[in-house]
Amino acid sequence: MIFISILAMTALVFLSRYLFLEPKLPLRLNTQTQRLLSYSSPAVLTAIWAPIVFMPDNELSLFGSNPYLWAALTAALIAWKTKNVLLTTIISMLVFLVLNLWVFSA
Amino acid sequence: MDINTTTSPCSHSRLFWQGTLAMIPLSIAVLPWGLLAGSFAIDVGLTPFEGQAMSAILFAGSAQLVAMGMIKTGAGLTTMLLTTFFITSRHFLYSVSMRDKISPLPLRWRLSLGFLLTDELFAVCGHQSEKQFNRWYALGAGFSFYFFWNAATLAGIVAGSYIPSLNELGLEFAVAATFIAIVVPTIKNSPVLVSVISALILSVTLTYFSVEGSLMIASIGGMVAGYLTETLRGKRG
Repeated sequence: MIFISILAMTALVFLSRYLFLEPKLPLRLNTQTQRLLSYSSPAVLTAIWAPIVFMPDNELSLFGSNPYLWAALTAALIAWKTKNVLLTTIISMLVFLVLNLWVFSA
Repeated sequence: MDINTTTSPCSHSRLFWQGTLAMIPLSIAVLPWGLLAGSFAIDVGLTPFEGQAMSAILFAGSAQLVAMGMIKTGAGLTTMLLTTFFITSRHFLYSVSMRDKISPLPLRWRLSLGFLLTDELFAVCGHQSEKQFNRWYALGAGFSFYFFWNAATLAGIVAGSYIPSLNELGLEFAVAATFIAIVVPTIKNSPVLVSVISALILSVTLTYFSVEGSLMIASIGGMVAGYLTETLRGKRG
């Protein structure tokens, strides 16, 4: 029974990922739709990262003692200046760990 | 980054590794969740085989964790499928956004990249233009992520409840850092800025009020806000 559930969920998840990649699907994206979709990457990614940064532990935290906020600000600055994803991630992660484990740990 | 579509086998593997490297921060960030998926599977009474199968064939982090929670509480298949549909609906958005890049490829490429199309793969490839997009790069990014997720699940199954709570380290910040690093350089005009700010405010507000489907609502809200700004300004620039 559990295995059937896993298979059914697998089918559903795969369908959601594959459906629009199928060329036989009669769907032509007009210019408006393509323009709308051009915002999908920044919009979805922001909708995922914003709650991580502003709501650690599921509580709104807009204060200076929120290590996520400072580290996110660091990441935004480095990304803006260097446009290097790996460098941005490594430096801001280090900033985050220092803030989280030592500075704001009390 | 300029990548041609017609490349030699040697550059195929180079592109594959470049994709793997681009995915590394996200692959590391997902490790604690993979461990959790493995140990939780045993905890709710799944066999090691079923636990690993979840990661190997379902391959959907949040859906797996929620599904296992429901197996534990004894929810029915219909409830599980409805919840899964809700969680997985964002993938429709990813596949429609990637349609121009992936649908012209041969079937085996469409199936592989479709199977591997997670939040993380969309993060790495979603913002690429059709010219920048490369199938080998995408495969490297997607497959390496799949490998890390499954290795972490296996470790979680084997170690069970003996693993310390890695979540307290705050590794999920690596996800935020990587996504910020991808998004910030794409903000080149005011419509994108409006889109990002709208998605930010919407997602935080909706999450604060625990609204179901906040991710989808905030994403579509952000897209529409960007599109409207672009339309109102008449021309992008």
